[in-house]
Amino acid sequence: MKEVIIQGLRQAYSNLVRMFAEFLPRLLVMLVIVIVGLLVAYVLRAILRAVLHVTRLDRLSEEAGASRFLRMAALPSMTELLSRSLFWVTWSGFILIGISVLGVAGLQEQISRLFLLLPAIFIAILILFVGLVTANFLSRAALLAAVNAGYTSPKLLSWSIRFVIWALAVSMALEQVGVARQTVLAAFSIVFGALMFGLAIAFGLGGRELAREFLERNLRDKKKEKYEEPQPL
Amino acid sequence: MAEESFLADDFLRQLMSVGEVDLLVGIPTYNNAATLGQTLQSVEESLRQNFVRERAVILNVDGGSADETRQLFVQSGGRRDAGPRGLTSLRTTHRISCEYGKAPSQGLALLNIVAAADLLRAKACAVISPTTTNLTPSWVVNLLRPVYSERLDFVAPLYARSRFQGLLARDLLYPMSRAIFGQRVREIYCEEWGFSGRLASQCLEKEVWREEAVRARPEAWMAVTAIGGGLKCGQSFLGPKIAPPTGTDIVEIIRQTVGNFFWCMETNQATWLRGSNSQPVPTFGPDHELSLDGVPPSQEKIFELFRSGVSELEPILASILAQDTHAEIKAIALSDRSKFHFPAELWVKTVYEFAASYHHAVLNRYHLVQALVPLYRGQLYSFLLEHANASAEAMETQSEALCQEFERQKPYLVERWKVKR
Repeated sequence: MKEVIIQGLRQAYSNLVRMFAEFLPRLLVMLVIVIVGLLVAYVLRAILRAVLHVTRLDRLSEEAGASRFLRMAALPSMTELLSRSLFWVTWSGFILIGISVLGVAGLQEQISRLFLLLPAIFIAILILFVGLVTANFLSRAALLAAVNAGYTSPKLLSWSIRFVIWALAVSMALEQVGVARQTVLAAFSIVFGALMFGLAIAFGLGGRELAREFLERNLRDKKKEKYEEPQPL
Repeated sequence: MAEESFLADDFLRQLMSVGEVDLLVGIPTYNNAATLGQTLQSVEESLRQNFVRERAVILNVDGGSADETRQLFVQSGGRRDAGPRGLTSLRTTHRISCEYGKAPSQGLALLNIVAAADLLRAKACAVISPTTTNLTPSWVVNLLRPVYSERLDFVAPLYARSRFQGLLARDLLYPMSRAIFGQRVREIYCEEWGFSGRLASQCLEKEVWREEAVRARPEAWMAVTAIGGGLKCGQSFLGPKIAPPTGTDIVEIIRQTVGNFFWCMETNQATWLRGSNSQPVPTFGPDHELSLDGVPPSQEKIFELFRSGVSELEPILASILAQDTHAEIKAIALSDRSKFHFPAELWVKTVYEFAASYHHAVLNRYHLVQALVPLYRGQLYSFLLEHANASAEAMETQSEALCQEFERQKPYLVERWKVKR
């Protein structure tokens, strides 16, 4: 009896030692991969930061109005944000590779899923960023043009443009990641359709008189009411 | 040479057949068949009567006219009428025509003119607009003579104006250009001007011809290049200018002129950041001529546009202007329309803050310049209200006071310009 127990304990001990002997090199490999990843991520961040400084991305971002949004969200400059993102994406990639080297069965599948999602997430972030910049630029251009031309409700026009572009960008980004693809598409169609329908009803029924006056003023009597500024030059 | 890469072979052949010249008159055209004949006649008459011994060429640079502008230019040969003193030119006046593109561009037209001037070693050049319907031979000689005989490098025109004409030039462009670049040249945004061969060669060497600011208003850039290069500038009185209305889209005009001026400030900052007071320039004829005719424009609408602009563009103006300047503008926008006054000090501060914000690119630059339009309308309304019945002298006194205010506040601009963001 005693010998059986000792034998079992020996077996367990030798198994444990064997497991450790098998696991330790993998752990070391993982640590090496993580450390190499850290170095690679640092180098890539430095290179990207230098390239973005040369291309004056911060100035472009400032001009396009994206920097204002970043400041409002207490985020760093565009160059810094992209450099840091690259750092974390690179390092996370190496960490995931390192973890997969450990050979833990349950983790393998989850990691490979995450790897498959990474490019889609990156593209979705890019879509959101481009959407944000475009919405800001076009809505501001519309606001300035409407104000300078003396149109009524320029802010409404500007916000409508901003909203439509945002909605489009968000739905495109979500579709890219694959989050409830059908639901997002349906939600976008419903929201956009409802907005247009609402505007059509509001303008067509609620503001029939206003619409008639507006059309008459802008089409029929356009020449009569044209405003002439004094010759500037 | 830079010009070898862009001048068409046919144009080069024509230039080579002319050889060297003393005078060059450039006429940029685009569908100007209706008025070109009169312009050509005046130019030829002026050359015949005033430059008897000089070798001259008239150069037409066309932006792809769909009418018969180019054929008209080539076919209408010069007559050799005697001048008032019985003098006739001893030399042939050459005519060259080229098409620089299929769409009009002031910048490309000037590029071809300066390249031709450089190749032909012209001593004095003038650019003449074919849209001016009252062009007389005296205009051409008034632009060429100061360059050819007085050795000036840039000669701006001086036009006789009615009191409600040229208000952007009077309230912003002239006072600001005078304060910034230190030369009292009234009309750097013009359609007729004179320049030397030396200035043409210097301009040709600059690699800015593709810049939109230069493409739209090359004459102002040329004037600034002359001032920045330490060349001699002057101005010459031409008289009243009559031209078909080119439209008064104030947004487009401000984008072209003020945007261009801010760009010139940025590209020439080394020359103006250290300078202080302005200097008068040689002036041929009266310094200015202001007539009291002209109907005042609709003022009510101007004020409405100012007030709504200040309110609707609040976040944009907040990112461009200093906090106290923005607060002052918001306060005057709420004041009673009949007692409205845009103080000169506030106007100058506003313009300088726009210039500094343009330099720091706090906003897209097209948008930034457009945001100035409502504020210009406020200043315009204030001017019209205060000068409804003013005499020409009173208006000139006010204009001079505004110029001095721009000069007085220049250190403020320099300070904001140099601030690191």
